Amino acid sequence: MTGLENSRSSHAKAWDERVAAYEEEARSNPWRKRLREFSRNKLLFTGSLLGILIVGLGLVGPLFLGSNYAGQSLRNTHLPPLTEGYFLGTDQYGRDLLVRLCIGIRVSLFVAAAVTSIALVVGMALGMCGGFLGGYVDRVVRSVTDFVWGFPLILVAVLLAGGLGQGLLPVILAVGIVNVAAITRVVRGEVVVLRTKEFVEAARACGVSNFRIMWRHLLPNVMAPALVLASYYVAVAIIAEAGLSFIGLGAQPPLPSLGKMVADGRGFLRLNHWESTVPGIGIAGLVLSVSLIGDGLRDVFDPQLRHEAKGVEKG
Amino acid sequence: MSAVEIKSGRGEAASSLKGMPLLEIEDLRISISSEGSSFEVVKGVSLTVCENEIVCLVGESGCGKSMTALSVMGLLPRGVARVTEGKIDYEGRDLLSLQSRELRRLRGDFISMIFQDPITSLDPVFTIGSVLKEVVRSHRDVSRAEAKEIAVRALVEAELPDAADHLDSYPHQLSGGMRQRVMIALAIALDPRILIADEPTTALDVTVQAQILENLRARQREREMGMLLITHDLAVVASVADRVAVMYAGEIVEEAPVEELFANPQHPYTQGLIRALPDISVSRGSLHSIPGRVPSPQTPPPGCLFAPRCVHVLDSCWEANPELQRDGAQSLRCFNPQPFEVR
Amino acid sequence: MKRTASRLVYTLIVLFVSSVAVFYAIRLSGGDATAAALPGSATEEYREAFRDRLGLNEPIYQQYFTYMGRILSGDPGNSLTNNKALTSMLSEHGRNSLVLGGTAFGLVFLVGVPLGIIASLRRNSWADQGIMSMSTVAMAVPNFWLALLAVWLFASRLGWLPSAGCCSTKQLIMPAVVLAFEGIALTVRMTRSSMIESQNSDYVRTLRAGGLSEWRITCKHVLRNALIPIISLAGLRIGQIVGYALIVETIFGWPGLGQVLVNAVLRRDYPVAQFFSLVLVTLVVMGNWVADTGYTIANPRLRKST
Repeated sequence: MTGLENSRSSHAKAWDERVAAYEEEARSNPWRKRLREFSRNKLLFTGSLLGILIVGLGLVGPLFLGSNYAGQSLRNTHLPPLTEGYFLGTDQYGRDLLVRLCIGIRVSLFVAAAVTSIALVVGMALGMCGGFLGGYVDRVVRSVTDFVWGFPLILVAVLLAGGLGQGLLPVILAVGIVNVAAITRVVRGEVVVLRTKEFVEAARACGVSNFRIMWRHLLPNVMAPALVLASYYVAVAIIAEAGLSFIGLGAQPPLPSLGKMVADGRGFLRLNHWESTVPGIGIAGLVLSVSLIGDGLRDVFDPQLRHEAKGVEKG
Repeated sequence: MSAVEIKSGRGEAASSLKGMPLLEIEDLRISISSEGSSFEVVKGVSLTVCENEIVCLVGESGCGKSMTALSVMGLLPRGVARVTEGKIDYEGRDLLSLQSRELRRLRGDFISMIFQDPITSLDPVFTIGSVLKEVVRSHRDVSRAEAKEIAVRALVEAELPDAADHLDSYPHQLSGGMRQRVMIALAIALDPRILIADEPTTALDVTVQAQILENLRARQREREMGMLLITHDLAVVASVADRVAVMYAGEIVEEAPVEELFANPQHPYTQGLIRALPDISVSRGSLHSIPGRVPSPQTPPPGCLFAPRCVHVLDSCWEANPELQRDGAQSLRCFNPQPFEVR
Repeated sequence: MKRTASRLVYTLIVLFVSSVAVFYAIRLSGGDATAAALPGSATEEYREAFRDRLGLNEPIYQQYFTYMGRILSGDPGNSLTNNKALTSMLSEHGRNSLVLGGTAFGLVFLVGVPLGIIASLRRNSWADQGIMSMSTVAMAVPNFWLALLAVWLFASRLGWLPSAGCCSTKQLIMPAVVLAFEGIALTVRMTRSSMIESQNSDYVRTLRAGGLSEWRITCKHVLRNALIPIISLAGLRIGQIVGYALIVETIFGWPGLGQVLVNAVLRRDYPVAQFFSLVLVTLVVMGNWVADTGYTIANPRLRKST
């Protein structure tokens, strides 16, 4: 046995090196591997392209096109797309549809992003606390999330609108609440599973404080499913905001909300259908790209998640 | 008690009772494909199981023994693993070239299999009685009442207590050991000629392990079945095997009747495995282990697959992989076998 | 049994909390209830008297109890806008919503589940990829836009179906399909993934080793296991449909509970908003309870606590 250690032949050493090199390559930076999967994943790729296009339109468009979404021009009402000076035509008040589309996208993105990011932070915090600390805290967290969980988003929003009046606030609150509930639920589930794993036990045994465990060990592991879910909910938020402004809640005129624009154009479907079609395509494109990104993210990070994400409720 | 002593407690020399060959695996090669590339995990395995004998296939996890067993039944995970070469002969027919319908007729009825993990291996939404009856009735043209009788009889033979009452139980209502008995009952209900057991006791408590093994052996002797038992545990081998085949990195490196294997292991790997068995009779001895790791299929050593870990390695061992040499009832794949010394 | 009882208690508590939440939510704005009921020219004293009569000046918790008392005794009051009795509104509009919602619910499962099964059986084939991409798109398209599209196509252009109104079968088709659309897409995906997961389970291997045919294994064992999560989420579909019905009914002029509620909120008709919110919330909560009970029945593991 002793001879083996000391006098490894040149053959043995050569082979050892080969194995080491192979493993080094296989173990390469997980993020780089993920990046490689990302570019190979068609869903993510298409979604991202589409998303960049649309988001770019929303963010950058107004810089070039001017942000005059409210400027009416009663002489130029109902102009079809590709008319001189009005790339997407005008609506019933002569307002430039392209500009309104861009601003509308901005509004949708703002609502969705703001809500989802806050919800992500709050949801992860709540979920980690509930799942990890257990006991009383957990029961409170679970009851509250279960309570909100089954509620259709739109109903909650309408309720809040009943109390808070129209405008973006009830929409943001409603989407936020449901978002938080969903993220908390998923995060809590993950944490409950992680809690029993050895590395957590080990950390505890070393006397690491609860907070540090949550921050250093649980957070990175929970990030992935939470992000996937959040991207899904961005799509939900966009649709919800659009739907609510369609029926009259949500963003108030003259601020263009894509949903409101569709509603406005409703009366002119027969002859000037683009007034509804354009914002409609805008919504669909935005949501589609976010959905694709979410699906792609999920495929890259963990195919297991499919089950949980699809059980999530919209509406 | 050392392994050698465990085995001699059994008494009978069963190897003289074995009958004609039932299952002949010839030069089997299995490849796994993952992420675009494929590599061999079973590299030319040949094995024979005869009537009324228990053959143990022993090796570490990942050496390909489970894959070999699964391929006999045609149960390799589709799209992941496939047989690239070889024949599996059952009573003159090559199982690998059978139509699925013919294969299905053999499964459960002539060749059956029990698996490692009883928790997930039973359908949770059906009672064990209904599954048993279903399997019975898919092979035999019997009435429901007769099927029920056969089911109860099988459960009794598998030594499940209160067998008749448990027909209406769901898998989650039974303990791990009981579930494994249900699996055994499923496998022997139709009186197969060959039984393949893939690590049947690995997931169970030690006390239950012994009972299950006893049960399997008793049923095997009764019906004179040929049994292929896959395990990584030499103690299991010592207690039930008639013949042993040791597998390493996808190849069989040694094959011998069980007494010979433990009395005089020839391959360095086998020697290492036996040496690694903790010996209760020796106090304060150090634990022996085999240095190094099993080579991953993507980076096989250039010569003998065991060379990097071998105590008796020569330079010539790095140049070519030795062939499996047969000598009577024993086989060995080694250039430089040395006599076994217990240290 | 014990589990069902505790679940029932939990549901009742949820109902209670919901009713309080709804009550407070509507009262939140402190906006003027009289704005809806009285003409703009009414004097402040008159409004004050009106508020007194409606009991709006009492402390909120007292209002809550008075209100709940009135509901439970069967008289929730009248609409502020047209003075119709709320109970009669409930039965009339409730029936319409039930027809619409029920049809949509049925469509979700009768279309979604079979499609999902087909997709899972023919993985990665054209059928599968087609079904999956359609469902992705279906989930992205906002259903009100889809509704408009459908109206434009089937009503204006082709003239096959009426664009709005109630209550013939022809008028039911479009709103029901639009309402069911997203639920169908979700169900397809869930069914597919559930089937695939079941198919990859260990017990399938055991059954194959027993010599059962693929057909039998899939239709009897895999399917049965795969349906469990789908059944369990059926109750949540109720909530989803209730939510979307608010929009769909508005678009298609289908006079159901949703349309009533939305109008009431827009017009600040408090009694109506309050009462119908409560009704819908109760529906949702009951739906969740049904879902939970259904799951318990479908999954033998939860049936008896050993």
